[in-house]
Amino acid sequence: MAHYQQGDFTAAAALIDRLSPQLHRFFAVQSVSRADADDLLQETWLRIHKVRHTYRPGEPVLPWFYAIARFVRVDHYRRSMRTSARHQQMEDMSTIAAPVSLESGRTDSLAALLAPLSEGEREVVEMLKVEGMSLEEVARATSCTVGSVKQKAHRAYAKLREIICSTRVGKEKAEDRREG
Amino acid sequence: MKDKEIDDVLKKAERVPHGLHAETLQRIAESIRPSLRPVRPLPPPRVMTGGLVLICALVALAGASRAGFYGIEKMDLLERALIFPALFSLAWVAGIGFVHEMVPGSRRRVTTGALLVSVTFLLVGIFALLFRDYQTTHFFSAGIACLLTGLLFAFPAAVLAWLLLRRGFAVNSIFAGLAAGTLAGFAGLGMLELHCQNFQAAHVLVWHIAVVPLSGAAGALIVRIRGFFG
Repeated sequence: MAHYQQGDFTAAAALIDRLSPQLHRFFAVQSVSRADADDLLQETWLRIHKVRHTYRPGEPVLPWFYAIARFVRVDHYRRSMRTSARHQQMEDMSTIAAPVSLESGRTDSLAALLAPLSEGEREVVEMLKVEGMSLEEVARATSCTVGSVKQKAHRAYAKLREIICSTRVGKEKAEDRREG
Repeated sequence: MKDKEIDDVLKKAERVPHGLHAETLQRIAESIRPSLRPVRPLPPPRVMTGGLVLICALVALAGASRAGFYGIEKMDLLERALIFPALFSLAWVAGIGFVHEMVPGSRRRVTTGALLVSVTFLLVGIFALLFRDYQTTHFFSAGIACLLTGLLFAFPAAVLAWLLLRRGFAVNSIFAGLAAGTLAGFAGLGMLELHCQNFQAAHVLVWHIAVVPLSGAAGALIVRIRGFFG
């Protein structure tokens, strides 16, 4: 990152190669289309490039990237809300779960698995459990406290537990019926 | 079902290919190449916070030097020794909050909203201990004059603070506006403490302290309106 700030194109390209899959997954998990995820990724890198001086060498780099990715996603959501003229508050976005569910058949994809969670829970689980970031890093990326991250992760796990268990029970019943 | 099992399900789901093309990455890299030149990182947070607090102190001093230092002249030594260091410390805390809002990925001990509430309650606590004159004369007329004066001096402090951190990037502009307004409110409050010689508890607790939350709310509102029309 320090080399990128010094104008080294090789360092910039290496960062793009290394972090883009993670950031792309971050957008894809939010149930946006593949094309949207590509656009958001590109927009994120342009924004990162524009504000690269705000990264302070020595600070954790991932929270800085994710904080900007979150900003781009929220901004994109806000703009799409404006164009669709739906006057829904942004707060609703964090509480309403996406409509995709496990029953849609995409049980193997991360986006489908996390779809029933709220926006905030989804991003916390994605950063914490999929990307392997620490609680402190997730708190920095999401501009909230460690306590709040813990609470969201706890709620998300309770929901996931319920969903996975009910899906398994459903599958077992279906298999029993087939065998019977 | 244990957490470990959920972790395994998530790990398994993560292995599904993300479908990101190499051409996309190439395109992104090429798009930033023309404007790739060295940049100077932001200074350390304590330097930025120091600058912000200095702005507030200078605005308060400039205001009081124009209007008169009647308040500080009337205070006894204990009041001076408690009020101004407390204002300095709380302004420093608000300054840290503003700096964190302007630097993506900063560490947060408390949210900006909680910061504003706790700073206001701390001010009420400190001032309630120091001001024991419970008479209320000209409560509204004198109070509104002080409130407007405080807000008037908060405004230039907010503009200067925003200029100082203009190279920053607010991932949540409303919270940044709230933090900037709260910090600027301390310039207004500081000016009032230096200038106002009305030491009635109700006057100080209501009208002087109200400058801080109102200035914070005004900061958030201005950013919200600007964002709405922008």
